[in-house]
Amino acid sequence: MALIFIRTAIIFVTLLFVMRLMGKSQIGEMQPFEFVISLVIAELACIPMADTSIPILYGIIAIITIFILHQIVWLFQLWFKPVKNVISGKPSVVINKNGIDEFQLKKNNLDVSDLIESMRVAGYFNLDDVYYGLFEANGSFSALPKEEVTSTSLPMILIDRGTPDKKNLTRCGFDDERLNKLLKEQNAKLKEVVVMTVNGEGRVYFQKRGEKYKILQVEVNGEW
Amino acid sequence: MVKAICYTVAAILLCIGLFIFAEWYLDKQFEEFSAALDSLYTKIEDETATQEDGFAVRTLWEDKKSKLQILVPHNDISYIDYWLSEACGLLYNGQYDLALGKIEVLKEISKNLPDAYSIKLENIF
Repeated sequence: MALIFIRTAIIFVTLLFVMRLMGKSQIGEMQPFEFVISLVIAELACIPMADTSIPILYGIIAIITIFILHQIVWLFQLWFKPVKNVISGKPSVVINKNGIDEFQLKKNNLDVSDLIESMRVAGYFNLDDVYYGLFEANGSFSALPKEEVTSTSLPMILIDRGTPDKKNLTRCGFDDERLNKLLKEQNAKLKEVVVMTVNGEGRVYFQKRGEKYKILQVEVNGEW
Repeated sequence: MVKAICYTVAAILLCIGLFIFAEWYLDKQFEEFSAALDSLYTKIEDETATQEDGFAVRTLWEDKKSKLQILVPHNDISYIDYWLSEACGLLYNGQYDLALGKIEVLKEISKNLPDAYSIKLENIF
């Protein structure tokens, strides 16, 4: 019996550790330890139910173990704030007044397209529609929006962390020569660009690594 | 908050109690079963064992089995059923040499089974 308890605790701690390592993109609006519990508990309930050769007490002990671990984690989080940061993580400010914080994105195993997707889900379609954007500890996106929406046209990613999106560049009427010219004007190399998006009105959001973002105006074939 | 702490402490105490009881109970049941097997083994060695002696051990095991199934996976229990049935069959035919081997296996199983459920590093991993 005690073996089941110890083994369940080991699996719980391992899963929790792995979930924390995976970052916020893997968590669906739950605290990491809640997510781990929901992963484990269904299996724990099912195995003794379906396999009659396993005493049902094994399942019950494992579920009680999960309950005890949940309560312990919850109490620790309540009493010791640093423990809460370790177990559940803390919010990450991924957009600040300078633009995208690339370090925070990397730390959470996210890329610019993930960020833009999360923003769209939250109702913001342009990177400069918000003053601040952050991923909460449970993986959901929150933002402090600007008073006015900057554009009514959908932006497309042209460069994502130094990688050009050839398809989008062609669609927007950017060939290599034009892109290189724009980069030269901004005194940036391709690999130095954190993000570059353009919308149907030719409004470009351009951010060079280590610098504040810029809003540029270019001509595009605004077919979208 | 107090209620949650009480529930947690109660669950921990319940688990600890159950673990201690399970360990003690398994040891005790298998000790008794091993003692019965030892006595049957001695009788088989002396070639004085009868089918009734085999049935007596089997009845003892049947009694214990019904309770042990709460704590031990049923596959482990069916191993003992299997070897015990074979031993009884051999005793019925008076094949003491072969029966001795089966009882030896049973003794080994009843010695090792409680160990397989005790808290040891090799059992955890």
